[in-house]
Amino acid sequence: MKRLAAISALLVVCASYSFGADECVKCHQLLGDKPTQLFKKDIHASKGVSCADCHGGNPRSDDMERAMSKAAGFIGVPKGDAISEACAKCHADEAKMKSYGSALPVNQWKTLQTSVHGKLAVAGKEHIAQCTTCHGAHGIVSAKNPASPVHPLNVVKTCATCHSNAVYMRSYNPSLPVDQNEKYRTSVHGMRNAKGDTKVAECASCHGAHDIRSAKDLKSKVYATNLPATCGSCHSNAEYMKEYDIPTDQLEKFSSSVHGIALLQKHDLGAPACNSCHGNHAATPPGVESISKVCGTCHALNADLFSASPHKRAFDDLQLPECETCHGNHEIVAATNELLGTAPEATCGRCHSEEDNAKGFQAAALMRLLADSLESGEQQAQRLVDEAEQKGMEISEAKYKLRDARQARLEARTMVHAFDSDKFSDVIGKGLTVASTVHGEAQAAVDEYYFRRVGLGIATLIISVLVVSLYLTIRRIEKKQQKATVL
Amino acid sequence: MTSDPDDHVQPGKRDFLKLILGGSLVAWAASILYPLFAYLKPPKQAEVEVTSVKVGTLSSIEKDSGMIVRFGNKPVILVRSAAGELRAFDATCTHLDCTVQYHKEMGVIWCACHNGKYDFNGRNIAGPPPRPLDEYRVVLQGEEVLISKKS
Amino acid sequence: MKTFLTKIYTYVDERVQLEDLVQFMGKKYVPVHRHSVWYYFGGITLFLFLIQVVTGILLLLYYKSGEELAFESIQFIMSKVQFGWLIRSIHSWAANLFILAAVIHMFSVFFERAYRKPRELTWLTGMLMLFLGLGFGFSGYLLPWNELAFFATKVGTDIAGVVPVIGKPILIFLRGGEDVTGATLSRFFGFHVAVFPGIFTVLLGIHLLLVQRQGMSEPLGVEAGAAAPQKTMPFFPNFLLRDLLLWLIVLNILAILAVFFPWELGQKADPFAPAPAGILPEWYFLFMFQTLKMIPAQVWFIDGEVLGIVTFGIAGLLWMLVPFWDRKSARGEQNRTTTYIGIFVVGYIIILTILGWLL
Repeated sequence: MKRLAAISALLVVCASYSFGADECVKCHQLLGDKPTQLFKKDIHASKGVSCADCHGGNPRSDDMERAMSKAAGFIGVPKGDAISEACAKCHADEAKMKSYGSALPVNQWKTLQTSVHGKLAVAGKEHIAQCTTCHGAHGIVSAKNPASPVHPLNVVKTCATCHSNAVYMRSYNPSLPVDQNEKYRTSVHGMRNAKGDTKVAECASCHGAHDIRSAKDLKSKVYATNLPATCGSCHSNAEYMKEYDIPTDQLEKFSSSVHGIALLQKHDLGAPACNSCHGNHAATPPGVESISKVCGTCHALNADLFSASPHKRAFDDLQLPECETCHGNHEIVAATNELLGTAPEATCGRCHSEEDNAKGFQAAALMRLLADSLESGEQQAQRLVDEAEQKGMEISEAKYKLRDARQARLEARTMVHAFDSDKFSDVIGKGLTVASTVHGEAQAAVDEYYFRRVGLGIATLIISVLVVSLYLTIRRIEKKQQKATVL
Repeated sequence: MTSDPDDHVQPGKRDFLKLILGGSLVAWAASILYPLFAYLKPPKQAEVEVTSVKVGTLSSIEKDSGMIVRFGNKPVILVRSAAGELRAFDATCTHLDCTVQYHKEMGVIWCACHNGKYDFNGRNIAGPPPRPLDEYRVVLQGEEVLISKKS
Repeated sequence: MKTFLTKIYTYVDERVQLEDLVQFMGKKYVPVHRHSVWYYFGGITLFLFLIQVVTGILLLLYYKSGEELAFESIQFIMSKVQFGWLIRSIHSWAANLFILAAVIHMFSVFFERAYRKPRELTWLTGMLMLFLGLGFGFSGYLLPWNELAFFATKVGTDIAGVVPVIGKPILIFLRGGEDVTGATLSRFFGFHVAVFPGIFTVLLGIHLLLVQRQGMSEPLGVEAGAAAPQKTMPFFPNFLLRDLLLWLIVLNILAILAVFFPWELGQKADPFAPAPAGILPEWYFLFMFQTLKMIPAQVWFIDGEVLGIVTFGIAGLLWMLVPFWDRKSARGEQNRTTTYIGIFVVGYIIILTILGWLL
């Protein structure tokens, strides 16, 4: 009897609720399951989204059979793409989102599908990542809420769940490193992030969120040609960077540098982007001593020569950044002869003054002199070759040889870094010899051009004399004929 | 023409005119014939633009070596791998137009200017070169090695 | 020395009766009057043709026909062969001067009515040689296989293709296929160095024979108004020496042109490249080219281009047949109509050529 009374009481309680509150919550609360607990704090709950809005079914029916019947549209726990599709029912519908008072974008599901995470998962039936993979399911809060798994302070950990899992990542992209998180923690960004700075870059700042693409994808925010702008979105923003006390003109300087022009204008992927020198996940400025190593990854020969040169120790002793001291960093331009020598705009003179260091001063002056003489020698030869060519003379052979002079000049540019005037003058000498040979050949071609004109002059003279004497002969013959007829 | 008494009146003038006429006629003939014979003399250089170049015999090319061959106005590098395979590439570095060479120790095609490296397929594998070297075709005619443009 | 030469002369004379020829030439007289200067243009044209023959043969020593070789071989001639630049430039310049001299010769003959009986055949052969000369120019223009020539040939043969009924087969025949290709080059080369010179030589032989046989024509006015005995000059040596003198001057002009304005070679033709701006045919085709450009696309129901080409064809034919329809001149009377027609044609050609240059 007692039992019967209890059941009837429950039914009465249930029935009495059936007209106002959500039957799902009522029952599931009694069962004490975790999703229902979590959902209470969910932003969706506060906006009036019910269980049935995602799971289907009839929330007003207190009959379990009927409430969770297929006829009432109950789908149970969604699996695979059905999860994201359930979210997209509202999140891809602008009108519906507006009715909830939300101004969120409505393209997340669409962009997620085109992203690298939109590829099919191993099972082959669903996309790799669903909404819930990053945002969670029943405790979803705004990304600005520190409790959110995608909050700037949490997002690294969230991404790392998969990306630091070597076993998991192997099934998708075995060549992709899994140490990004570790590296990130050593970077300036990572260390500040760990201290609770939400302004520094985390994964999504550079890679994007729903629209993440492979770094090899031309449209990726971290593709080499796009990367400077991506870094610049924070680092060039003086307002944003105010509290960090570092310059904000790096992007501007880089864009007009030899590297920036090669990368951004010529789309030369061999040219360095920000990360080539600073690292990406472990981004930090290279230290004084490591500069020549960093530059040396591409400019290997120069770095080797420099390291073997007497300057290496001197720079280390003076704590001077190696390449940067002469060449600068972000604003680096193609080196010219102006950098060399003792003139005010040259760099050597900054340390090697005539009084303090006469030997170095003289060496710098000599090297500049040699470099200039090769350059002008090559230019003169080039000019003469051009002149001959423009005069219609064929001198492709000399032109071919001129390549060697140019090569010697470029080699000399490299050889400067040995800071040894003997080695330097050897290379220059090679170039000068070629330049003078070419000069001679081009001169011969130009001379030939004038020979033609002189030849024409002589021929014209001969023909003129012939014409005049022929004319006189004709006149004489006619005179004779006239006399003959008169007689 | 019958004889004219005037002929004997001014013998000096007549001789002079005849001399000039004859002399300039000879000079004129010379000024025509000199260019003509110079033109007829075949020039030493190869006739027209090259489409293929003979390098030498296969046995004369060492294994694991490279050589620069002049191809028209361009240098071409012919490399032979340790296994004996032959490849030819445009020897102009794609970075700054230096001429590349074969570097035996590294086993790569190497540019001395900026340490650019290309592998045995001409691909840029290290250093500043932005793109691979253009490949030329190597043709074997018996023992003879020929390089020709890839069409 | 003198006896040696006499011996040779006698030797030849005994066998081919040289004396007859000398007798003939000695009795030949050239009329002297205020229009005499025009008589020299025939000789200049002949001289330029001879230059073309000589330089053409010289060029043949190094020229190579074919898509892959033509341009390069001319480049070779211009740069590697000693005086190759001179030979080629003279050939190109002389070609143009040849057409110019021939056109002047033709118009002087026209205005002096020298075509009238009994010289109809001389006129006909001359006109045919002028057309052949244009053919020489058109075919020779393509031989260096450079960009401009390639597109000019394309346009030129296209125009031939517009002619109703026979146009298409002519186009295929000229091009050796649907498009201007290496096959076209081979054909044009053949026309230029074998077919045309052969025909030209025959026509030239007839033309010169007739001129020698019939002597120089005298203009109508001079003939009629001359009451006093005709002023003449012996053909040999007076006229011939003057001819030679002029030829020397022309030769010198050619050398000057060749040195100071060497004929350009331009870029090698690339059938897949877009047509360069400013393609013009050779100047002597310019008036026709310009006319075709200016004719509206449709005149009544006829296609404008077809109309232009057919009109030019008929006009050319009528012009060539002038000795047969100009009966008045044949009777020795003044005919103003032909003068007006001639002036109109000269004016038309000059104005349209200038327009072609400017537009």
